[in-house]
Amino acid sequence: MQVTEAFKHAFLKQMLLGFQASAVSTKSMGFQERKNAIKLSADVAMAVARGSRKWTRGLIAGLSEERQNRSFLRLILGEQYESLLKPCHSSWKIPRCKKIVRRSLRICWRKQKKNQSGVLARTLVEKRTQELKRLVPGGKSMDGSSLLDETLDYVLSLRAQVDLMQSLLTTFEASKLRSHSKRRLPERKASYVSK
Amino acid sequence: MGSAGSYGVGTGNSGAYVTEISEPARFEEEIRSLIQARFDAPPVSGGSFTALLGLSANQAVGLLHEPGAGEISAPAASSSPTGLGHPLGCSPTFPSNAALAERAASFPVFAAADSPASSSDGGPSPPLKAEPPDPDSSPPLPVPFDKPRRPAKRKDCEKQKAKGPGKKIKTAEEQTEGDQLPYVHVRARRGQATDSHSLAERARREKINARMKLLQELVPGCSKITGTALVLDEIINHVQSLQRQVEFLSMRLAAVNPRIDFGGLDSFLMAERGPLAASNGRGEAALDPVSWSSDPAPGTGLRTDLRPSQQSSTAWVYPYALIDHGTSLFGYGAANSVPLNSNQSKTDL
Repeated sequence: MQVTEAFKHAFLKQMLLGFQASAVSTKSMGFQERKNAIKLSADVAMAVARGSRKWTRGLIAGLSEERQNRSFLRLILGEQYESLLKPCHSSWKIPRCKKIVRRSLRICWRKQKKNQSGVLARTLVEKRTQELKRLVPGGKSMDGSSLLDETLDYVLSLRAQVDLMQSLLTTFEASKLRSHSKRRLPERKASYVSK
Repeated sequence: MGSAGSYGVGTGNSGAYVTEISEPARFEEEIRSLIQARFDAPPVSGGSFTALLGLSANQAVGLLHEPGAGEISAPAASSSPTGLGHPLGCSPTFPSNAALAERAASFPVFAAADSPASSSDGGPSPPLKAEPPDPDSSPPLPVPFDKPRRPAKRKDCEKQKAKGPGKKIKTAEEQTEGDQLPYVHVRARRGQATDSHSLAERARREKINARMKLLQELVPGCSKITGTALVLDEIINHVQSLQRQVEFLSMRLAAVNPRIDFGGLDSFLMAERGPLAASNGRGEAALDPVSWSSDPAPGTGLRTDLRPSQQSSTAWVYPYALIDHGTSLFGYGAANSVPLNSNQSKTDL
């Protein structure tokens, strides 16, 4: 299972744009602030690069619940922001006759009463599903199979995010190291000369 | 063609023709005749529709069979709808119902499949009930990626035993390879109940099991574990650890960050953005391979204040030229035609 190069490319680009937009490199921010801005930028970049999925919408919705993020989101997303926030009819309910639904529910319930075997297993699984719903953004309104779908997607994107941030980090640290050493070199030369 | 009887040719009943899915070979012609009868347009529109069909079929098949595409394969199948979404933009003469057109465009994907020997079920006619309320009511946006789901839902209504080599779980890839039919034939196995509830339940359970298997492959160390609850445990742990890693990395980036001047990336990033391109007009310099190969002058660190000039692109090259320990960031991008370093290796996810 792979993530496309286009996704990584778009992700990186979006993240850098986000860093720029939130002016992360200015000295005026405190450490915590900067960290939050970076994380926000990374998350939004991931959601934007992925496109339109249930978890991306849930992620952006979750992020926009905090007031401080909203201006940033509006800046980055532009007009997409409003359309994303609109309550999406994610559950395309098939119009069903209530009588039939009630009848089938009654049959299922009767069957469940007969075989109580898998109850323990089922509650364990239920608990885990609830937990997973909490973890995956937008998971509350998903049913079992789509939850697993979205988890798959989300895990892949998270991995890509971690990899990207790691390489970004090593880049910056390497460049910082280089610039430090390059700066020190002429000083050393000067000291030799003076001796 | 008895199946054509139910068509409302010329009546504009857009929902009707969608129900006839069992014969995709004739289906295309039906659509064409329907469209032409309906729109009385010059052959251009019919032609454009067939061009649309041909285009989308090839595109979709190409997308799905492309080895380097590497899209998240089975469950989401989001690549095919997004691929199919594009051709629609290029036929403006086409009628209003975009949702209709998208769905129609996806069908020839199945018609273009190789094996003409479809598991011929002349027998049961496909169920009609689920379809009619849907088509016109669904706005275009969710349809593209809901599309793979709808065939799956249709199988729940398929209460009859049908011929077929057993239960098929629908993925877009499977559909283009062998099956022409966009819904699942459910065959009751020996010794199992055949009433509709257990069939539907079993179908649902199999769907969930298939997805669990995929997740098991994805999460490391999960393949040996048996039992849904434990696998879910592992998945939860994995997701939590990834989220924690992101948090940790963002903290480290914050620590290193104040030294990096992002203002210098202005022209580069603005070029990527397109319409908001910086006024310096150096749009093409950003991805210009020439600038990659140029040796960055020592001391052109990112810390120097960069005006939107030619310096900015070389300054952006600078961090990438520094990566000589194997990880390459812009090794990802297709734009990177010039290798930065000889000992560079592309990291593959």
